[in-house]
Amino acid sequence: MSEMKIVGKRVLRSDAYDKVTGGRGYPVNVRLPGMLHAKLLRSPYPHARVLHIDTSKAEKLAGVKAVLTPAEVPQIKFHPVFFSPSLAASMIRDMLILSDTVRFAGQPVAAVAAVQPEAAEEALKLIHVEYERLPAVFDPDQAVQSGAPRIHEHAESNVAMHPSFSFGDLERGFEEADYVFENTYQTQRVHTCYLEPRVCVVESDSQGNLTVWSSTQHIFGLREKLAFALGLPISTVKVVKPPYIGGGFGGKLDMGYIEPICALLSRKTGRPVRIEQTRYEDFITTARNPIKIHLKTGVKKDGTFTARYAKSILDTGAHATHGAVVLMVHGFYGFLLRYRCPNQKWEGYTVYTNNMIGGGFRGYGAPQAAFAVESQIDEICEELELDPIELRLKNAHSEGQPHPFDPSFNLSTYRFEECLKKGAEAIGWADRPSANSMGGTRKRGIGLACQPLWVSGCIGFPDIYEHSGAIIKLNVDGTADLSVATVDMGCGQNTVLAQIAAEELGVPLEAVRITYADTETVPFDAPSHASRVTYSAGLAVQAAAGAAKKRVFDIAGRLLNTSVEKLEITNGRVHIEGSAEKGVSLGDVVKQAESPYVVMVPDGTQRTRLSEKGTIMGMASLAPTSNPSPATAEFVEVEVDTETGEVKVLRVVFAHDIGRVINPPGAEGQVEGGTQQGVGYALMENLVFDQTSGACLTGDFLDYKIPTALEMPPEIKCIFIESNEPTGPFGAKSLAEPCLIVPAPAIANAVYNAVGVRVRDLPITPEKILAGLGKL
Amino acid sequence: MKQRINLTINEELQEVFVEPHQTLLHVLREELGLIGTKKGCDTGGCGCCTVLLDDRAVYACMVFALSAQGKKIITIEGLRENGKLDPVQEAFIEAGAVQCGYCTCGMIMAAKAFLLHNPAPSDQEIRAGIAGNLCRCTGYHKIVEAVRAASRPG
Amino acid sequence: MALQEVKEFLRPESSQAAVELLAKYGNRAVILAGGTFLHGLASRGLLPNLDALIDLQQAGLSYVKSEDGALALGAMATFADLRDADQLKGTSRFGAVSDAVRYPPPQIQNMATVGGSVATATSLFDLPVALMALDGTVKALGPAGFRAIGLDNFFLDYFEPALQKEELLVEVLLPKLPPRSASAFLKLETNANDLALLNIGVRITVDESGTCLEARVVVGGGVGKSPVRAVSCESILKGKRCSEKILAECAQAVLADVHPVSDHRASAQYRAAVAKVFVRRALLQALGRLGLTVS
Repeated sequence: MSEMKIVGKRVLRSDAYDKVTGGRGYPVNVRLPGMLHAKLLRSPYPHARVLHIDTSKAEKLAGVKAVLTPAEVPQIKFHPVFFSPSLAASMIRDMLILSDTVRFAGQPVAAVAAVQPEAAEEALKLIHVEYERLPAVFDPDQAVQSGAPRIHEHAESNVAMHPSFSFGDLERGFEEADYVFENTYQTQRVHTCYLEPRVCVVESDSQGNLTVWSSTQHIFGLREKLAFALGLPISTVKVVKPPYIGGGFGGKLDMGYIEPICALLSRKTGRPVRIEQTRYEDFITTARNPIKIHLKTGVKKDGTFTARYAKSILDTGAHATHGAVVLMVHGFYGFLLRYRCPNQKWEGYTVYTNNMIGGGFRGYGAPQAAFAVESQIDEICEELELDPIELRLKNAHSEGQPHPFDPSFNLSTYRFEECLKKGAEAIGWADRPSANSMGGTRKRGIGLACQPLWVSGCIGFPDIYEHSGAIIKLNVDGTADLSVATVDMGCGQNTVLAQIAAEELGVPLEAVRITYADTETVPFDAPSHASRVTYSAGLAVQAAAGAAKKRVFDIAGRLLNTSVEKLEITNGRVHIEGSAEKGVSLGDVVKQAESPYVVMVPDGTQRTRLSEKGTIMGMASLAPTSNPSPATAEFVEVEVDTETGEVKVLRVVFAHDIGRVINPPGAEGQVEGGTQQGVGYALMENLVFDQTSGACLTGDFLDYKIPTALEMPPEIKCIFIESNEPTGPFGAKSLAEPCLIVPAPAIANAVYNAVGVRVRDLPITPEKILAGLGKL
Repeated sequence: MKQRINLTINEELQEVFVEPHQTLLHVLREELGLIGTKKGCDTGGCGCCTVLLDDRAVYACMVFALSAQGKKIITIEGLRENGKLDPVQEAFIEAGAVQCGYCTCGMIMAAKAFLLHNPAPSDQEIRAGIAGNLCRCTGYHKIVEAVRAASRPG
Repeated sequence: MALQEVKEFLRPESSQAAVELLAKYGNRAVILAGGTFLHGLASRGLLPNLDALIDLQQAGLSYVKSEDGALALGAMATFADLRDADQLKGTSRFGAVSDAVRYPPPQIQNMATVGGSVATATSLFDLPVALMALDGTVKALGPAGFRAIGLDNFFLDYFEPALQKEELLVEVLLPKLPPRSASAFLKLETNANDLALLNIGVRITVDESGTCLEARVVVGGGVGKSPVRAVSCESILKGKRCSEKILAECAQAVLADVHPVSDHRASAQYRAAVAKVFVRRALLQALGRLGLTVS
């Protein structure tokens, strides 16, 4: 590969100028003429039957245009998750747009559209709902007991799903072990805290066709889910791609209640309808599922794993939503594939409760598992006096092996060992003190955690979409318009995809512009999730750019009187290899294709070539050929105040095997942002609910705490271990999710190293540390 | 009942009609189309709506519009002068401090206010200066870098 | 109650005019000071039904005045005003106030006021704890004129200050303190924009030899309806030179007077444990401001 000019360079984000001057392209800013504002009436009870709804007073209120109740809503059961087809067998369709059974406090039971949001709000108070209250259950352990309230007819014992996988001989594996470690770990419910609320505007035309603007991570998924839930042909729904959304992190990876409700209200009123969720509503809309993990590991004296058994109980809340897939990713990438271990069994339970529903969140089931496994590894090392790095390496996969998930793929680039070694060096691992060996009341400790195996998208996963498309169109001024369905939720996808297009086309980065897209104008793309965009969408963009380039060469070959094999494009000039000064500008080539067939020149008329006419475009829609694994190791240093139990993260070193880095500052931003979410997950974040009413007690940022700049470590060092992944665009594989998978166990291990306290339930609050120190 | 008020926003006098309960944030976004100021929580917890009120950073979602009468308000739209970006805006672009961008305008306004009163801050002071603004994408790392860069004299 | 039901936004130009409005509207109006807590109260359904908001910004109460060694803090003086006031800057006497107003983020410092934080009457705020440690007195104006209410007696119940319906908090007066007085304030919070899980304000006055003449220890944040004076701590300190032993005794004694509560943010036991730690730390900080070390 010749030296790259744009890929791998520190480039400025294409959208930064617009965003620092106001950033108009967010769905929250969409306003249409005649638009109505809708609000949802939400149940105050966690489990109830709706017996009767009286909307007569609300309908008479000035400004109110429509009221919607369950009776007027299609009763089609759906699942809201974007990345799987509605009819996918592995997904559980257990939701209704409006139902007469309430299964969590805050579930919508009616909606009002009015001229002003205030009138809609006022009208909600005038709706009288008669409920029959039902007993509720919030604890998954209790929910599976006989006699517990049944939440769905289809789920006996409230178990939505109970997968189990095993290989080898578990019993023999434990017999062969010199030591067996057995612990229980518990993780909490946390929110993605995207800052732009979930918001949508839906417009219905006179034929009932819908156009949708929404703060979403997937336009095609939203189209398909909306059409399914409303019982409409998919072609009647158009979703417009938002130029930006204000964060997602997996929290906008499913259809909410708001989109179908706006659609129905718009059809009813003939006017566009908008809903913007309040922060409280957002907090009860999506969350990372809490999982309780029972983990048993058999290990030889030298640290070799001989057997592992894990049981995971996932609280999916009122509906299965993501709970089915989160559990599978958790089982496979959290336990079964993580390290080499010949005898394993994992079983999981997705359990219904009357808690809020779960959603996607960066890492998707892996952070919960990583907390258990990576914490337990530390416990094993402490007990057996082994070095945590050595133990991990002893059980690690290695480069060139078949991929443990799907042996038809290969770990073609896999630099886990390098992650551990370079990270260790940067943090000063060799000088790490033994646990709780510092004097004084403020003690420091260093900890480590890894995600040895992860994904670059979802190829190979049953029932999950994984293909991408792109259209590139060249302009007579030598620029290119790139249309993709990929939503840039902030991670810099637009910049990375433009870099890939520019590199392939041989034009400056500024010459590539990401343009408008909607579900009618661009090829399908799977959602912005699963660390997939750079790798998967990047391949489609590269292929589309390559197709456009081929046509450029066909014309340029004639203009330059040479064969196309000898051509290349540098900085917007098409030229013969090695002689950049001779050649023709890309714009001039495009003009050949775009000019009238007969052109007027000073001497008269001149014919151009008929065979070269037509806009130069490149298109691609394809699936990647592999699912290369990145690998990560994170080292943190913390300081624990042994009198108050407060933990301060002082330093982070994050080593990431990433393939080729496309845009270094963007990649660093992923690590730094993941650290914020990870510090929050480890130390403070927790969605808490009243155990009687089911009401959320942490419904705004006064009560739901996430780290500000002052709680963040002043030093975050990124080490990117680069390689040339043969199946990726310009050698890239993935980044993103591991940045949030590993911080919690790394911090837990560092806390142990500092003060000798092992906290096995998240978050690691000051209170738990003081209790561990025997001070409470 | 709506009352008429005059507000000086980005050095322009604006006449608006507002209800007693309406906030400055509402007026900026819904009445005047100054949508660079974002709504993230509406309860003073996220900082997305930060604007300058008499050269001090405030949460526009907590300021009643009627109480802003007679005060000087600067929003993100007012930072650019003669088409030239403010040094804080420039620094955010250069440092790669922008990801989803939803916190960005509020963050820049907080930084701007803070630098007006403390032009040469330490890193710790920068962090305290933006502690009222949440960001979920960047870990604040490049934002601190940007503010540091913008604080250098010249 | 939703704020959108408010019909009138009133901006009296004197405290007298504000009192007249209070008398006119009774409990159908509330005073708007900085406004940093009002939306939070409204969204939690804690605001009564209202017809009017009375915005005090133009009532001439945004002052910080020295009066013969005492310090008068106008109800509308903001945290930023206190932070930047020459009378407070770098003083050991008012250290607790300077500490307290620096905890919240700039946006809150710029809006939150002396009067708002005190008259809201909640133990969750910081400034009242610092002011109590300095023996602050509320100056209230009613139809019958001014009256003084010690902060010790000001917090009757959750969101219930010792003010009559038509009375307005116009000022908090911090009395002149003897020489060699210092104060300090500490707050336990989860992030930098938080209500206190626990906070503490202390003040100590010593003689030339370093013997404590008088002390105040006040604990707030998750300790019930109002900040609490830990008189047991105060009496241990009085008449003694502070040593580590005395501080330890004092820390232990705080729980005789302070009875923390459990909620979803922290347990009573944890708050109690931190209260003990903070008594010692805050006293050390105050003593440090007097140049005293403890052994």
